[in-house]
Amino acid sequence: MRLFRWKAIVPLLLLGALVAGLWILFADRMAKGTTESVGTTLVGAKVEIDRMHLDVAHSRVEVRGLTVASPFEPLENLLQADLLVADLEPLPLLEKKLVIDRLAATGLRFGTPRQSDGRTVGQSDGVMGQVERWGQQLQVPALQLATGKISLDRLDPAQLNTPRLATALAAHADSSRTAWVSGLDALGTQAAVDSSARMVERLKGAKLTDVKLLGDARRTLEQVKRTEERLTALERSVTSGMATLHASAAGLAEARQRDYALARGLLKLPGLDAPDIGAALFGRAAVQRFQRALYWAQLARRYMPPGLLPRATPGPRRVRRAGTTVHFPRSNEPPAFLLKSADLSLSVASREYSARLTGVTSDPALYGRPAEARGTAPGFRLAALLDHVRATPRDTAAASLADVALPSLRLPALGARLEPGAGVVGFRFVMQGDQVQARWTVTSDRVRWVRDSAGGRSSIGDVVWRAISGISTLEVSARLAGDLDHPELAVGSNLDRAIADRLRAMAGTELAAAERRVRAQVDSLTDGPMSAARSKVAALGGEVTGRLGGQRAQLDQARRALEQRLPGLRLP
Amino acid sequence: MLLLKLIQSLVKTLHSEGTPGQVAAGLALGSILGLTPLLSLHNAVVVGLIVLLNVSIPGAMLGWALFTPIGFLLDPLFDAIGRALLLGALALRPLWTALYNVPVVPLTSFNNTVVLGSLVVSLALCVPVFYGARLGVTRYRATVAERVRRSALYRAMTASKLYALYRLFRPE
Repeated sequence: MRLFRWKAIVPLLLLGALVAGLWILFADRMAKGTTESVGTTLVGAKVEIDRMHLDVAHSRVEVRGLTVASPFEPLENLLQADLLVADLEPLPLLEKKLVIDRLAATGLRFGTPRQSDGRTVGQSDGVMGQVERWGQQLQVPALQLATGKISLDRLDPAQLNTPRLATALAAHADSSRTAWVSGLDALGTQAAVDSSARMVERLKGAKLTDVKLLGDARRTLEQVKRTEERLTALERSVTSGMATLHASAAGLAEARQRDYALARGLLKLPGLDAPDIGAALFGRAAVQRFQRALYWAQLARRYMPPGLLPRATPGPRRVRRAGTTVHFPRSNEPPAFLLKSADLSLSVASREYSARLTGVTSDPALYGRPAEARGTAPGFRLAALLDHVRATPRDTAAASLADVALPSLRLPALGARLEPGAGVVGFRFVMQGDQVQARWTVTSDRVRWVRDSAGGRSSIGDVVWRAISGISTLEVSARLAGDLDHPELAVGSNLDRAIADRLRAMAGTELAAAERRVRAQVDSLTDGPMSAARSKVAALGGEVTGRLGGQRAQLDQARRALEQRLPGLRLP
Repeated sequence: MLLLKLIQSLVKTLHSEGTPGQVAAGLALGSILGLTPLLSLHNAVVVGLIVLLNVSIPGAMLGWALFTPIGFLLDPLFDAIGRALLLGALALRPLWTALYNVPVVPLTSFNNTVVLGSLVVSLALCVPVFYGARLGVTRYRATVAERVRRSALYRAMTASKLYALYRLFRPE
């Protein structure tokens, strides 16, 4: 019997040739499918390609008709490109790595309309879900002047923080009391005092030569002193614990102030201060822009993480379980993905611009340089830097566009639409670690106001409409700063003062009454839990402090009585 | 239909001219195809071995058919084993890092938990599958093979065109 089946070599070679032939025939289609699938996963919205061609001989890939749907808007594209040509480095392909030397993209257009919803990620999923939740926590006051009604939504007790904090404080006080009382009981003060009293009795008439009795007395004194030391430690613990409880009790007042603000947001009117008006008018639009910037920054952090540790990503989709694919980057090796440079020819608001992108990589620590985007032209400036080389990533982006037709802004609060006309829009975003700073500005001196025909009218709405419809300039500035989990949002505009003054004149009394009703509702829901928690803390302080003081006095007395009987036994 | 084909394949394999060792070797190699995700580079090597080595091709086909559903069933286990090897075993990390950065090796998708876990398990099972199958085929041929060979069903199966194709690659 022979080991090899030599006559199978020819069929095997034929099979190999057949596979190679099929690959040549279908490689473009397979690459197109893979690129669309990977792109869709990365962006969170459909990526579609009209045609893709792999030029193996020249290590070149051509993509025609690229469409990337917007992950935010259902019927809008994020971008479209007529042609993308990528020159690849062939050797890293053998390591399943994609290194693009140069990419040329022409005919890039942004925000074009599309026929169907291209979003693939549900709002509660992944990065999009995180960003949605992040946006919801930024409180934007509501404003409803179109109908002139001041309505108050039902206040849900679950929305308020104060009752929850008060309940937690009461529970904390209960658990502290249990712990401290157990600690007091475990001290054995009474036993030490009784033992001391018995020893004092035995010492009456004792002689100094009674060595055994003197030894017993010394041990009893030591026992009393040890009990005193334990009592001192417990006192320290009680003092610190009570300080925490008192601070928490004081914090309830601040929590109630926040609940007042939250409940006031349920009114369809903000406060009468100008900043509140600005936030109510433009806050939602500003938050939307900051959310988008944050979405891309978070995606960049997910797909361009710092460091060289192994990184797990979901495996490829297949009939069998996908599993997890683990990447093992190593110094001085090519990254799994690297786009060295890209020249982009883009069209914004019917004008042509050019931009350049460098160093986009899946392993910034391997590449050693941050990813950069830069574009300048008359009236256009773009600069972005994603520095994930070091352990703390820093993402910055700034863009401004002048003399372009700005998109209209619906202001349902006013029952109007703002047509800013040609103006200047600026955006700046900096995120270092978990600290974020962002600014969005819009300036225009040729604004036009269009009143919505739908919806009701009111005297308040009419007055405010007369105030704003005469304003021909617009200056909006929104700032976001602070910790990423709890940033502060500040929005202002040149409309704020005008509207606030009119509102104060027209609706001040009614507003004040509505606010009083809101405060009363909050008080009715928070007074009970707050009082209960505060009285529990106060009672606990009195009880435990009293018991501690009593035991301290007993021990002091016992120790002094012993020391008076045995002056020579005083310990150093 | 699938079950009938499997039975047909089983009967033909057991009655082929191949020795029990050749059938068992084919079955062991086929089990790798069945247990691991099919479209992996290492399976091209396995297919090459099945065709080039003088092992039973029907045996390999049978092994593939028998072990594919087992592979699906054991995927969670493969995933866990692969995860433990790739992410849990710190001592192996330098090896994976080296392999990940060597040309061609990453194309095998060894760094996927299911691929690695199933490959490790299938390689470990190769030896017991080989010896078990060899013993089974030997016992079968010594006991009931002749009665089956005389049955009408067997004669119908061996008259099919597939059988003629099989004879082209039968073990020598």
